[in-house]
Amino acid sequence: MDEDPRQVDNELIARTQAGDSSAFDELVRKYSARLYSLVYNMTSNHEDANDLLQDIFAKAYRSIKGFRGKSSFYTWIHSIGVNMTINFLKKRGRHFQLSLDDVDANIQNDKEFIESTSGSNPVREADLKELQQRLNEAMMKLSYEHRAVVTMFDIQGMPHAEISKILNVSEGTVRSRLFYAHRQLQNYLEEFREFRSPS
Amino acid sequence: MPPDKDNPDDISKLLRLKRFEQPGPEYFEGFLRDFHRRQREEVLRPLWRIALDRAGAFFGGDIHREIIGYGTAAAAAVVLFLGVVNFESVESGKQPVAAASAEKSPDTRTASANMLRTEQPRYVIDTRPVSYHEPPFSF
Repeated sequence: MDEDPRQVDNELIARTQAGDSSAFDELVRKYSARLYSLVYNMTSNHEDANDLLQDIFAKAYRSIKGFRGKSSFYTWIHSIGVNMTINFLKKRGRHFQLSLDDVDANIQNDKEFIESTSGSNPVREADLKELQQRLNEAMMKLSYEHRAVVTMFDIQGMPHAEISKILNVSEGTVRSRLFYAHRQLQNYLEEFREFRSPS
Repeated sequence: MPPDKDNPDDISKLLRLKRFEQPGPEYFEGFLRDFHRRQREEVLRPLWRIALDRAGAFFGGDIHREIIGYGTAAAAAVVLFLGVVNFESVESGKQPVAAASAEKSPDTRTASANMLRTEQPRYVIDTRPVSYHEPPFSF
């Protein structure tokens, strides 16, 4: 029988709090990919995502003595991640570059992407690549808070309740931010469709 | 595959593809090594530097840059102020304000204060007014 993931995390946290840093390494291994996805999709830059992820885990390690288990470790570290990323984005302001070339390099090797494009002609494949770029650009036009909700719900597949705990807002707020963000994204991408459609 | 405006699921499907914009597993192993290296560096760093960095992180700004920026601005303001004071003193042929007030004896200051209170003001021109000079040009 599988152990409850929250129980496993709590044991690792207790060991870390007792001074066993290898237990924290386990937590880093377990959550780094998910946190990377959060930070990367909010910043759209691999280098920034890497630096921020280091800072997030460093802060979590320093603060772990104060972790009382009121929420899951997953929720707790995501809260740290979202807050630090939003602070970073506010500081970064206009001085940023979208690493779209990196995105393309990664996604072209992806199984789901290949399946979704199989049987299609080169024109359609080029459209998909461009659409992916447009999607990233559209994401960057959303406010930080809306981008965070879209990243956690649509990309990471988190339920509304979990997102509301991470952001410390009501589920209604999460739903309304999501609705507004989807509408914004659709409008941005609609412009692209009108541009591409010959009719 | 442009999104269908009437279908809200369409945008969700597109966004789901972004799930796979991830580096490979080797990146995450390297990430853990970097994390250990950074932790070791943190242990070796002086305490004041750690405190400064954390204060910067807490206030959400680059505290090093702010300290340097404010320090430079304050120093520039002081230099500018002293420069203006000395320039005005040289222009009017007097000692700098700070030096003049330091040299003034307490008796002089008391006498001046008494004069202001009891007597009508008496204006004495110690030097020749500017208008008494011959103009350097003629029409």
